[in-house]
Amino acid sequence: MITGAAKRRLRPWRGHAIALLSVLAFSHLAVVWALPRVIMAKLAANAPPETRVPGTVHLPPMTDHTQRRVVLPSPDLLYATCAFDLSRGPWRIRADPKAPHYWSIALYAANSDNFFVVNDRQAAGAPVDLILVGPNTPGAVAESSAQQRRVRAPSDRGLLLMRLLVSDYSMEAQVLDAARRSLRCDPLS
Amino acid sequence: MLAALYVGAIALGAGSAWVLLHSVSGPAAGGVAVGPWRTSLLTGSPDADLYTRARIALGALLALSRDETMYYLAQADSDGRALRSACRYRVSGPAPAARWWSVTAYADDHFLFDNPQRRYSLNSRHAVLDAQGRFALVSGPDVAGQPGDGATWLPTPGDRGLVFALRLYNPQPELASAPGSLAAPRIERLGDCA
Repeated sequence: MITGAAKRRLRPWRGHAIALLSVLAFSHLAVVWALPRVIMAKLAANAPPETRVPGTVHLPPMTDHTQRRVVLPSPDLLYATCAFDLSRGPWRIRADPKAPHYWSIALYAANSDNFFVVNDRQAAGAPVDLILVGPNTPGAVAESSAQQRRVRAPSDRGLLLMRLLVSDYSMEAQVLDAARRSLRCDPLS
Repeated sequence: MLAALYVGAIALGAGSAWVLLHSVSGPAAGGVAVGPWRTSLLTGSPDADLYTRARIALGALLALSRDETMYYLAQADSDGRALRSACRYRVSGPAPAARWWSVTAYADDHFLFDNPQRRYSLNSRHAVLDAQGRFALVSGPDVAGQPGDGATWLPTPGDRGLVFALRLYNPQPELASAPGSLAAPRIERLGDCA
């Protein structure tokens, strides 16, 4: 049984116990929240030097066991990537991949969420033409044509990943490489 | 002493997050189990909760949302035994209901095995289906385990954890809305492990 004197002695520690538990919970949640953002930032920082400038399209070689930048790499896909930075205004994303199989263009936010994707079936043979605006871009940025589509990103910084399905790389390398080289990521102005 | 307690609380909070996130990571995080395979309903989705997003970032960064692609991971065989690259496995089942699918063998760090044959996956373009529309592959550490029954051979050198990833690109809408309805491929261990 705790006596009154003991209770008085423990009273100052009650506040510390609550504060310690709060600090513990906060640091736990902070790590969980920050981890995807840190991993995405690290991915951008570890990109080849010539592709670190936002907008530069990176064309990695066909995926094999030497690819160790991103977990679960698909050996059946050829990739193209570009980082975007919308802090100074909207960007225009264009691509016209004439590829024989499945392809897609996916946009990822700074927290790793896949907030947009378009694939070959949805494009139905038409070029992809996107106006990408940031979360705080004021006013409306109108599409300049019927084919153009406006997409709002949840963060200023992020990553675009283009995937092209490969059936036989030795036979399709030229076509697939030309398809991914059609990708353009540029500030609008 | 008080400062040490607060530093300890920070370390404990951060450490517990790290351990929790590493206990299950990748597309299986917070997901649905179908036989030995697991998938998440929220992979790549902006609707993912804090923990799911962090686990996906650790184990399956840059995954697509499930309307576009479904990812099923297996870390155990159909009898519940942890997969090892030193063992031989037969993975077989009906061709999944998707525009395009693949089964890829990964080491437990979620990267591809280094193998001179550069054979990493079986996909729907190259799979030979039997009369019932079923595919089959056999994995194992050395060429001696190569099957003679027409099943595709995937080398998994060394002795470490093994993960199979089943990808379904543009899955049938019925499957995308009910990932548990997948006719799950079986993963059978062949013989004893080396």
